Amino acid sequence: MDISVRKRSQVQLIQLRGQLRMGPAVDELRQTIEEVLGNGDTRIVLNLAEVPMIDSSGIGLLVRFLASTKQRGGNIKLVQPSKFAVQTLRLVGVLNLFEIFDGDDQAVESFA
Amino acid sequence: MSAESNAGGKSPNTDLPNLLDLRMPGDPAAISGVTDAITASLTELEVPEEKRMEIALAVQEALANAVIHGCNSDPSQEVRCRLQRDPMGRIVIIVTDPGPGFRPEAISDPKRTENLYQDHGRGVYLIRQLMDEVHFENGGNQIRMWKY
Repeated sequence: MDISVRKRSQVQLIQLRGQLRMGPAVDELRQTIEEVLGNGDTRIVLNLAEVPMIDSSGIGLLVRFLASTKQRGGNIKLVQPSKFAVQTLRLVGVLNLFEIFDGDDQAVESFA
Repeated sequence: MSAESNAGGKSPNTDLPNLLDLRMPGDPAAISGVTDAITASLTELEVPEEKRMEIALAVQEALANAVIHGCNSDPSQEVRCRLQRDPMGRIVIIVTDPGPGFRPEAISDPKRTENLYQDHGRGVYLIRQLMDEVHFENGGNQIRMWKY
């Protein structure tokens, strides 16, 4: 899992590349988001365009951090999740918990 | 997509030859390698991509359950994963762990409102949604699942 983090307009933009599943991928993303939250940033955009699969471990991570950011006045918004990722999120009933955007710019601007 | 579970019943076609027979340590970091090996075999078998991804995710979830609950994430424990194809061309996956098993009917529905923000408890539900038939055997420490 490749993870890159940029800050744009007070929003942390996290770009993922690879499968988000139990093991190093989920561990690395957990650590990345914990660091972001530790710095006081609760506005997060996750670009999932290059994440073909998310397993239940990855979904658990996303909803857990979605809850914690929302409790602190922030949010986690998703950009371009793959068709299969959308199908998986829908299957377990959490798709509607997330705001989903077609591009980074729209997602970042939605925090304004 | 539909699923059926059979906690104690005898499953059909239990003597199929293994196309792949893998053993892995009870270590979360080892799961993805086995999932990828199964996926590669499915590609060789010319299983269509959408079906391949659904099987791969179900395998990933079954292995995760086996490692976390069947092995307590203990790398000295072993999980076995087999790939078979029955005479009707259906893909069969069998994952076996050394744990005491579990009662699949005791798992709560992850789509209930109070469970939506839980960080666990979706694996078996996903397997049942992704595969066409699912049997839990040996008191729950073995899962046998079919994709038609």
